[in-house]
Amino acid sequence: MTAKGGVQYSKIAEIKGPLVVVDDVENAAFDELVEIETKEGERRLGKVLEVGNGKAIVQVFEGTTGLSISGTSAKFVGKLMEMPVSKEVLGRVFDGLGRPKDGLPDPIADKFIDINGEPMNPEQREYPKDFIQTGVSVIDGMITLVRGQKLPIFSGSGMSHNILAAQIARQANVVGTKDDFAVVFAAIGVQYSEAEYFRRSLEESGALKRSVLFLNTADDPAIERIITPRVALTVAEYLAFDLGMHVLVILTDMTNYAEALREISAAREEVPGRKGYPGYLYTDLSTIYERAGKLNGRKGSVTQVPILSMPSDDITHPIPDLTGYITEGQVVLGRDLFRQGVYPPINILMSLSRLMKDGIGAGSTREDHSEVSNQVYDAYSRAQEVRALAGIVGKAGLTEIDLKYMDVGDVFEKEFLTQATDENRTIEETLNLLWKIVSKLPKNEITKIKDKYVDQYYQEN
Amino acid sequence: MDKRHSLVSNSALEHTIDKILNQTEKNILSNIQSALSESQKTLDNAIPKLEQEYDKVISDGKKEADKIEKQIVGSSDLEARNKQLLALEEAIDKVFTKAIDQISNMAHSGDYSNLIKTLLDESTKILGTTKVIIYTNSKDKNVVQSLLSKYPGAEISSETIDCLGGITVKSKEGAMKFDNTLDARIQRLKPLIRKEIATKFGVGN
Repeated sequence: MTAKGGVQYSKIAEIKGPLVVVDDVENAAFDELVEIETKEGERRLGKVLEVGNGKAIVQVFEGTTGLSISGTSAKFVGKLMEMPVSKEVLGRVFDGLGRPKDGLPDPIADKFIDINGEPMNPEQREYPKDFIQTGVSVIDGMITLVRGQKLPIFSGSGMSHNILAAQIARQANVVGTKDDFAVVFAAIGVQYSEAEYFRRSLEESGALKRSVLFLNTADDPAIERIITPRVALTVAEYLAFDLGMHVLVILTDMTNYAEALREISAAREEVPGRKGYPGYLYTDLSTIYERAGKLNGRKGSVTQVPILSMPSDDITHPIPDLTGYITEGQVVLGRDLFRQGVYPPINILMSLSRLMKDGIGAGSTREDHSEVSNQVYDAYSRAQEVRALAGIVGKAGLTEIDLKYMDVGDVFEKEFLTQATDENRTIEETLNLLWKIVSKLPKNEITKIKDKYVDQYYQEN
Repeated sequence: MDKRHSLVSNSALEHTIDKILNQTEKNILSNIQSALSESQKTLDNAIPKLEQEYDKVISDGKKEADKIEKQIVGSSDLEARNKQLLALEEAIDKVFTKAIDQISNMAHSGDYSNLIKTLLDESTKILGTTKVIIYTNSKDKNVVQSLLSKYPGAEISSETIDCLGGITVKSKEGAMKFDNTLDARIQRLKPLIRKEIATKFGVGN
């Protein structure tokens, strides 16, 4: 940061959607921060999207409503957008652009960091293999999250993804280490009531102390949503790699981010890709998701749980589709379970954590974790088949063993999957519940678990 | 004969009654025995369940206590920190006000002319031309006027601006403007100055 400022240009050629085209511009740089000043002296922030032929296209984060060609000026600040960071950001609430929203002053910055971050050197990346306990049985037991992983939650409109997100934010912890843990929570285009719920939920549980909140509500300008995940990740990277903390970043709802990207793309008259999203949606999403990870020789880690609501529950929609290519698995919420009143309504058969196998077992969770989890997955899958069969032939037509599998399905949903929103289960409790499900089966049906574990943990009825 | 027969049948009846009574007594005793052992067994079975229940109540209570402790400690820590932040900001604001007072009261002579020259050099370089209109406050007008000959094509505006010192430069066609007043420079450096002040108060590095 220097005392040198930027040049202010007053020749506005065009205002188009969220974009302002400035004429006769010299020396503007791509991505440079711009201060737009209205006739009345109101200031809005923006960034350069395109420069050339004496013109600069500026994307205004706070929207162009009320701007006119005459009287508006654009000041090219001479630097990229930066986020002031220090340890003092913990416990703070910011808006979608990183400005305080809690009535407290700007944080006294240790550093000013470019919000686009620095790409991680692939060679320096460390393979994620340490368990994060979320306190949510189905995630810890069967879709285990590990430090440095990016594990999205695919949801649908109206489902309980935000309640789940808040629960994870409140309860998540690293076990077996004294390392500091922090949560960075970015709400992108959420309703005011949801934003308040997140804030209150963290405040009342005492978890706000170790959290940073970025709240962009639905009535905030859509373009601001492009920035929200980036400022959140900038803070997360600072906490992780400068202060050595393990940071869990929750981004909800990434669909709103993609919508904002589509809005800008349409205003720029770019050739649309699938469903009108820009052709570079994959690349753009990767610049966010790939900021998760661990680095060799550095203590901290950035773990990401992006949440996206699939339009019409369509998992082939471009947003979940492209997200799935980049991330390491997915947690899928099921509409049927949600309608039955199951919370969290996670459809385990469609969910997967690709890094789970490296984060569980002896030394991190328990030696029988992998096998008991596989057995329950298998049994629940069989239970679903039996339920379908019962729908055709009736319960009376089922064999004794089929009925046992139906029982497994019921116990799985009612006792293991179902959990109160404030219930924080330890990994031991979760594993014991998994064994309770397995123990509904006769021993000869248990084919995926070593005998020594069956002898040790099987619960005789 | 009838009397004898009656005596014999009475003793048989008594014998039968005794037998039934004995049998019933045995049955009752055996039932009591089995009920006792049954209840003993139930009691024995209930003990581990009770112990489990007891452990669960204790562990749930401990969890709840931990949760409440976290809530109380977390919110009071935050409250204390936030009060400290507000107090620090108030102190920083006081320092700023005092510094701005001192700057506005300082003499605009001596080295000040060099400062204005530096600001003019910087501004014309950034705009890429010396054909500019310069705006300044009434105090600095003479200083700027004395330097004007070094910038061919530059003019000083008759209008004055409200600032601590320094200049604002506008290209003659009016498309570009560069604010190089002391106010603008202080504003640009404010985050760094705040940090410096906070450090003096022993906060941060």
